Amino acid sequence: MTTANETKRSITLSDISVTYYGRASEVRAVRNCSLSVGKGDVVGLVGESGSGKSSILMAIPRLLPVGTKVTGSVMCDGEELTGMSERELNVRRWRRVALVPQGAMNSFTPHLSIERHITEALEHHLGISRTAGRARAAELMDIVDLQRGILTRYPHELSGGQKQRAALAVALACDPDFLLADEPTTALDVITQKEVLQTITRIVRERDMGLLLVTHDLPLAAGVCDTLLVMKDGCMVESGPAGDVAANPKHPYTKTLIEAIRYMETESSS
Amino acid sequence: MKNYISPVILAALVALAILGPGAFGLPDGTTAPPYSKPAWLDSSIASKVTIGVKSDISRGHVGASSNLEWDYSPPARVSITGTLDEGRLEWITPERAYLLADSPGELDLDARDIPFKKSLGISPFADMSKSLFPSRGTYKLSLAGGGDVVMTIEGGRWGILGTDHRGRDVTSLFIRGIRISLIVGIAATLIATILGVSLGLLSGYVGGLADSVIMRGVDVLLSIPTLPILMVLSGVWGKGLWNLVFILSIFSWMGTTRTIRAMTLTLRDASWVEGLRALGAKRSYIIFRHLVPEALPLLLANVALGVPGAILAEAGISFLGLSDPRLPSWGRMLHEAHTYGAFTSGAWWTILPAGLGISIICLVFMDIGRKLEELADPRLARAASIEARAEAGK
Amino acid sequence: MKSFLARLGESIIVILVVLVLNFFLFRIMPGDPLTGIVDPRFSPEAKQQLAAQWGLDRPMSEQFFVYAREMLSFRFGLSMMSGTPVWDELKNRVPNTVALLLPALILSAALGIATGVHAALHRGSGSERLVMLGGAVSFSFPSFFVQLLLLMCFSYLWPIFPLRGTTSVPPPEGFAALTDYIWHLALPLFSLVILGFGGFALYIRNMMVKAMGEDYILMARARGLPFRRVVWNHAFRGILPPVLTILLLSLPGVVSGAVITETVFSMNGVGRFLLEATNSHDYPAAGAAFFLLALLTVGCNLLADICYVLVDPRVRREGARE
Repeated sequence: MTTANETKRSITLSDISVTYYGRASEVRAVRNCSLSVGKGDVVGLVGESGSGKSSILMAIPRLLPVGTKVTGSVMCDGEELTGMSERELNVRRWRRVALVPQGAMNSFTPHLSIERHITEALEHHLGISRTAGRARAAELMDIVDLQRGILTRYPHELSGGQKQRAALAVALACDPDFLLADEPTTALDVITQKEVLQTITRIVRERDMGLLLVTHDLPLAAGVCDTLLVMKDGCMVESGPAGDVAANPKHPYTKTLIEAIRYMETESSS
Repeated sequence: MKNYISPVILAALVALAILGPGAFGLPDGTTAPPYSKPAWLDSSIASKVTIGVKSDISRGHVGASSNLEWDYSPPARVSITGTLDEGRLEWITPERAYLLADSPGELDLDARDIPFKKSLGISPFADMSKSLFPSRGTYKLSLAGGGDVVMTIEGGRWGILGTDHRGRDVTSLFIRGIRISLIVGIAATLIATILGVSLGLLSGYVGGLADSVIMRGVDVLLSIPTLPILMVLSGVWGKGLWNLVFILSIFSWMGTTRTIRAMTLTLRDASWVEGLRALGAKRSYIIFRHLVPEALPLLLANVALGVPGAILAEAGISFLGLSDPRLPSWGRMLHEAHTYGAFTSGAWWTILPAGLGISIICLVFMDIGRKLEELADPRLARAASIEARAEAGK
Repeated sequence: MKSFLARLGESIIVILVVLVLNFFLFRIMPGDPLTGIVDPRFSPEAKQQLAAQWGLDRPMSEQFFVYAREMLSFRFGLSMMSGTPVWDELKNRVPNTVALLLPALILSAALGIATGVHAALHRGSGSERLVMLGGAVSFSFPSFFVQLLLLMCFSYLWPIFPLRGTTSVPPPEGFAALTDYIWHLALPLFSLVILGFGGFALYIRNMMVKAMGEDYILMARARGLPFRRVVWNHAFRGILPPVLTILLLSLPGVVSGAVITETVFSMNGVGRFLLEATNSHDYPAAGAAFFLLALLTVGCNLLADICYVLVDPRVRREGARE
């Protein structure tokens, strides 16, 4: 690999297509898309549900359902992930690329405490013992603005906002280079949404990580991202600096996305 | 095609049960030597053969003889009946001749008679049929004088499925067993379902004290091992068919009660039921015109899924020897096979048909139940039907 | 803690119900408990004397208290057949029954879990077919039929296991006694495992298939945890509470199975004792055996409850709060 790739750490997807196979049908959820997230970049991937944005995200750590066909190349820090075995991938998952799940997902194993989620990852990836891991877990709680007491709780005992922050803490456990956030604020109320998103971007910028933020809320993304990518029906339709795209959309679809959200906001505030 | 297998098998079994063994000319009671093998199994064994000699002195006959080509191993049973007017009755084997009788009178000789053995010079403990049939070849029953004698040779082969320890035809017993299994299985489940539905409705719709008493009862009954109770009850209450049905049904209503209660609870709070109530419908009207019909398809499935449990329980009790010995059920057949040494005789045909019969009838009901369940509620999760099967399997 | 205390209370209720049931079954039912052993030619005085010996001439309420005391103190009264205390006969048999049931339960649960999980992870594989077959055998083959077949195959046609009994007659000495015991136990135990694992396996397979589709499994995989760890520590650990419930629900059936198994293999256990006592109308003995079997079930139920509390953090936490 070239030295340029090594100095500039990045996730680069080129010419990615994702095809799901149903019983009698096949659906091409992503068609020949390319994107790149460098270290320190905050990239927003915007589109309505079903546009294929989550499929792209899950194609990076290769977590799509069994039988799904992915073509194209996924490069992470100069390494090609597409051909890797599950074992090789497992070493890179979470250490390089961590996932902040959709807010609505029950993303925590119900019978494990929040602390255990963190120490388990530390134990496995960094060989940090469970007791040493506790100290690190407590630090992470401070970073994501949660009380340390949350650590000993079980997932069902947390509120939506707490869960989302905890999920962020778990994602930060192994100090990854990149965060993939899939609608991290969907299930939350408007105020909590903003707070959580601000926490995420603050941490990403502080630690000079790369963030790929997938959301349907274009104005929200425009507020925190450097770059915006707009997706429709599996294709990229527009990309550019966040301010530009939001203020001066080129593609008619982007315009409708912005209007739709504005409409919803005026409706809910009135 | 696959969808019709179970109903077709069930229809065939029901037809067999209604027709009974008599329709196929199959005998009741002892018909052949004990543990006779199935006729098709071993051609070195003869089935039943009779030869006779008849000579009438008043018509001037001086004797008669009759030949038998014997190409088998020694028979299981030999008997000679008839009358000897005068002269000698001889059995001529390829090796020697035996004088069977030489004094006039009624003959009723059996290879197991010790005096008879003695008169032939055979040890009382020896197997006489081996002496009378030492090898393959031509045998001759010869009567010098007058008389009318029949020799019956039973080779230890019988029918499609042989005989049991008492020499009863297993095919006939098997067909009679179908009837017992079906009656017990269906009747007990029906009674249990009626009981379960009533208590479930009571518990779910009336609630309050009735609910807690009934549900406690369900919990208690579900955590007591039922077979020991059934054993004790059938020991105390008598062993008749209907006693058994009654005993089985009072210990298998709990699952239905739980299902119906849960269903009633969801339906009770459904908006359309509330609407009916608001319109002034009586409780009984709501229950019998709406809740019961709603639950009916699922109930049918419940009955079908409950039958295997009842059949297995009946078979278990019969197998333990706690059923009426006069009722030829499949469990009873296995009980007798186990008690009267079917193993040491290698008589697998007394074990396999009954055991497979029970298994097949259970599989058939299970399959039909699952199909009915899918018909009743196509969305039904597979997991639910598996729970039902677990319930039925107990 | 509260839920556990509630379960404890429930167990006590079950035991009381069994006690009452036991008492009335033998006393209120048609016929005199003595008819089984009293010859009609006995003089009325002799009958009176016998009735007095078993306390049958007292008022019903007094009989009940005497009976309850006998049961709860594990003395169980005198056997009507032998005239000796029932407990003397039973105490040698209890270990035999436990030695059969406990390993059978543990082994079939272990085998059920192993095959069920494997089948869930490898849909359409041989292990999935094995689970389906095992389930069919569990739910529709009568246990005694399967056991008779095993007995026929492995004790008669290919005699590697004994045809009957708990030990050889006469029993060997020392270490050989243990191997002899195990040799006699092997086939009944094997049969119970064969009959029992399929039900568990089928159930576990279905729950595992569902669990593996959960979001948190995807997240556990995203965290780069090894697949084994995801399967066992996350998915399987999650379904452990319902698995324990199923185990718990199957206990009465397992205990019922002891009666049949001990009869088929002519083993010297509580189950066969119950059968013999029932057949000879020995009511105190039958009642005692029934009571013991019920107690065994209730005890195992409680044990399963304790495990349940230990396994499910939600139940555990609620307990800690109260």
